[in-house]
Amino acid sequence: MAVEYPLTEADVSQPILSLNKVNKTYPGGDKPALDRVSISVMPREFFSILGPSGSGKTTILRMIAGFEQPDRGNVVLDGRDVTGVPPFRRDVRTVFQSYALFPHMSVLDNVAYPLKMAGMPKAERIRAANEALDLVSMQDFPARLPHQLSGGQRQRIALARAIVGRPKLLLLDEPLGALDLRLRQQMQHTLTVLQREIGIAFVYVTHDQGEALSMSDRVAVMRDGRIAQLGAPQELYFRPQSEFVAQFVGRSNLLSASIGREGDEYIARIDGLAQPVRGIPARSQGAAKIAVRFESVQLQPLRTQEDCSRGFPGVVEDVLFMGSSLEVAVRCGDLRLIASIASGSGLVRGQDVAVQFDLQTCAVFHG
Amino acid sequence: MVDAVLSRTVSPPSSDAVTSIARHTRNLPVWVWLISIVLLPNLLLVGVSFLKVSNGLLVLQAGVTTYLRLWHSASFAELLGRTLGTSFFAACIGLLIAYPMGYYAARVVQRNQALAVVLVVIPLWISLLMRVFAWRMILGQNGILNSFLVSSGFISTPSSAFLYTPFAVLLTYVYIAIPYIFVASFTALEKIPQSLIEASQDSGASSLQTFRHVILPLSLPSVAIGVSLAFLTTVGDYVTPSMVGGLDGTMLGTVIASQFGVANNWPYGAAVAVVLMLGAALVLGLIIAVSRSRGILTGDEGARPRPMGIALTGSQRLLRVAGFLCFCLPYIFLYAPLLVMVLFSLNDSKVQAFPLQGFSLRWYRELWTTPGLLEAVQRSLVVAAFVVTLSTIVGTGFALLIHHSRSRILHGCEFLLAFPIAVPGVVLGITMVLGMQLLSVPQGIPRIVIGQSSFVMPVILLIVLARLRRLDPAILEASLDSGAGPLRSFIYVLLPMIRNVIIGGALLGLTLSVDDVMVTLFLSGTEPTLPIWVWNQMRFGFTPSVNAIFTLVGAVSLILVGFFSRLVEQR
Repeated sequence: MAVEYPLTEADVSQPILSLNKVNKTYPGGDKPALDRVSISVMPREFFSILGPSGSGKTTILRMIAGFEQPDRGNVVLDGRDVTGVPPFRRDVRTVFQSYALFPHMSVLDNVAYPLKMAGMPKAERIRAANEALDLVSMQDFPARLPHQLSGGQRQRIALARAIVGRPKLLLLDEPLGALDLRLRQQMQHTLTVLQREIGIAFVYVTHDQGEALSMSDRVAVMRDGRIAQLGAPQELYFRPQSEFVAQFVGRSNLLSASIGREGDEYIARIDGLAQPVRGIPARSQGAAKIAVRFESVQLQPLRTQEDCSRGFPGVVEDVLFMGSSLEVAVRCGDLRLIASIASGSGLVRGQDVAVQFDLQTCAVFHG
Repeated sequence: MVDAVLSRTVSPPSSDAVTSIARHTRNLPVWVWLISIVLLPNLLLVGVSFLKVSNGLLVLQAGVTTYLRLWHSASFAELLGRTLGTSFFAACIGLLIAYPMGYYAARVVQRNQALAVVLVVIPLWISLLMRVFAWRMILGQNGILNSFLVSSGFISTPSSAFLYTPFAVLLTYVYIAIPYIFVASFTALEKIPQSLIEASQDSGASSLQTFRHVILPLSLPSVAIGVSLAFLTTVGDYVTPSMVGGLDGTMLGTVIASQFGVANNWPYGAAVAVVLMLGAALVLGLIIAVSRSRGILTGDEGARPRPMGIALTGSQRLLRVAGFLCFCLPYIFLYAPLLVMVLFSLNDSKVQAFPLQGFSLRWYRELWTTPGLLEAVQRSLVVAAFVVTLSTIVGTGFALLIHHSRSRILHGCEFLLAFPIAVPGVVLGITMVLGMQLLSVPQGIPRIVIGQSSFVMPVILLIVLARLRRLDPAILEASLDSGAGPLRSFIYVLLPMIRNVIIGGALLGLTLSVDDVMVTLFLSGTEPTLPIWVWNQMRFGFTPSVNAIFTLVGAVSLILVGFFSRLVEQR
């Protein structure tokens, strides 16, 4: 039963965008690029699509923009079914991975282009374009041509062109991919501030889990054309629902184990480790994988061999200094683990340590 | 002596002076070529235009009388206008035909794209003389068009309104122009990144708006080069007007050629040539000015288009069909004349009219017994071998010198060296005559070789230079860093990377040399190359053997092109 709701700007409970069971197989492809994908994005939401290359995330974006058509399923924008509507009739703008600035137009002309296409009078659109340039702090060189700008500046112009017409939805296709680390971090702040300021919903595609977790309200993790998990960043990080998500979001040691039961407590016998681990948050017995995040592995320097009551004995194999933290490779019997600990703990190669897991943040996948 | 000692004490390393001398002597060949083949002949042309003729002799009496005569002559003004106008108009019609074709080939055709391009380029590889001749066969009073119109009852008697008219010249010029403009349009349109088009659609632009604001301005500069090339090729053409133009279709090229031939009034011919060059330069300047576009593609705008399976709406499908027709029909226009010629070369009749009289190889057999023909073929091959060898070595050497030199002057030379390419054919021909007369180069093959090299060398130079500029400079540095000296770096690293381009350039030079009429006619004297021999034959009367020669020449050049392009691909 379809119910018609009168839609208003204030109606925040209504999604601005929904994909309903969208399928897409490219001509000549044997596997579907998208397999029954359903997502909905709320107004003012920062929604990220995270996945390795080839997982279908760019296809989703192109489908929302109108460059691809779904084989099955539909795309609903602001309550209107836009499946089959060409890109230039959708109130959606894209920030392209390559920026796609028009090389023969000045910065100002590039930014004013969508307004010109919308038929806005010249004086008005120049004012609006200047405002948009102001928003991305690029007001200083409106007359320059794209090839006279640096990569970071081009990025900002592409952003300004996308937001100048205040679309209902902004799509960003790995927009920070070509920038260096410092600029990337700077742009992450710019983007989140900008998004709050102009109140447009963002759909952000990336393969960088750090970007996705730090900026987003919700994240969809994609794998092989399907959504592997959809939720808030904390949810994905602390309660991954599959090995894949555990591996892809944050960094984890993935341990093979067999789970047994003793009383009302689950015990894991981890391959390569002599002692069993008690108090595992498992749901059943049998073979399983346990994901332990790097920062959930705790290390204590050992003075004497007997001091190992709090964990398993291990030997530091390697220490990488990462600035605010240390990444330490530890060997416990046949098992090799990586721990991320605060720098300043002064561990060195060859040192004996006691190893402990923070069981609260472990994820167990029964297989 | 003192200077040398002083300079040694002042500038510590004496090797500096040596390298500086070495650097200057290294560039010496460039200066020699520039002065003797580019500057001197052109200055002579200007110089001669100020002289006078009296009683059939050149008189050293400088003055502007010739120019004044031209200035006051209404018929000259008309001729100049007709020459520039016809060439420009033909280039414009060519643009209207070739741009949509290029657009379709670059952005719609997905399979066999290379084939679509090669098929348009092939007529460029086939002798200009042959293409013009084919049109003569179609348009003539006993031609195919007439016999078709008479037999189908449109007209009662064969009309003379087709051949020997300005229209015939225009038609042939359009035919010549299409391949140049197509190639320029295709390369420009193919280069436009798909992401820019998507960005435009994403910004709310319709297909038409995207075309107007993004595709057209981005392709215009390159298209202008194609239009300019087509214009230059036809504006200095005297073959076409004299073969299909008749009296009303006379162009300045014909006038200039006759002043250096039968009329034997060099000052007048030179003055006309100077005016023609200035006029052509003016038109080219206008073309470039109109098409100027700002900004450059930096290469990171996005990837090449990828196939998109978007369903078309009804009107789009109609547009697509129209596009397909615009793409296909010109192929018929390009190939019909050539096919007609091949057909008649096998036709057992002296009359060039349908219906065909039956299959015969007699025109081919006749070739062997025609006096002078085999000598002309031989001469053409000898000339081509010299021209290609000389031009390839010199062109490649100059390209390396210019690319690896820091001298600004040498970089400026690039344009001067390429100047002969931008000179209308007939004008280049007469400047070469003047230059070689002054330097007293012996008649015959030496003159032809130098004359043809004047435009073949710059073509190879530009091709090799373009390739060198696209190479990553770090590659040569890596070789030097690995301990290979300049010579070994060149042999083991640089040469293998530019070899294909050199072969391609040499091949292009070969066809340019074998095909040339414009320059060679003035230089060959009593020793004609094949095209000149054919040209002379056709002026005396028509024999169907000409069809056979052209069919053979066309077939051989196609086989050569196919063979070499396969060779280049494999490497």
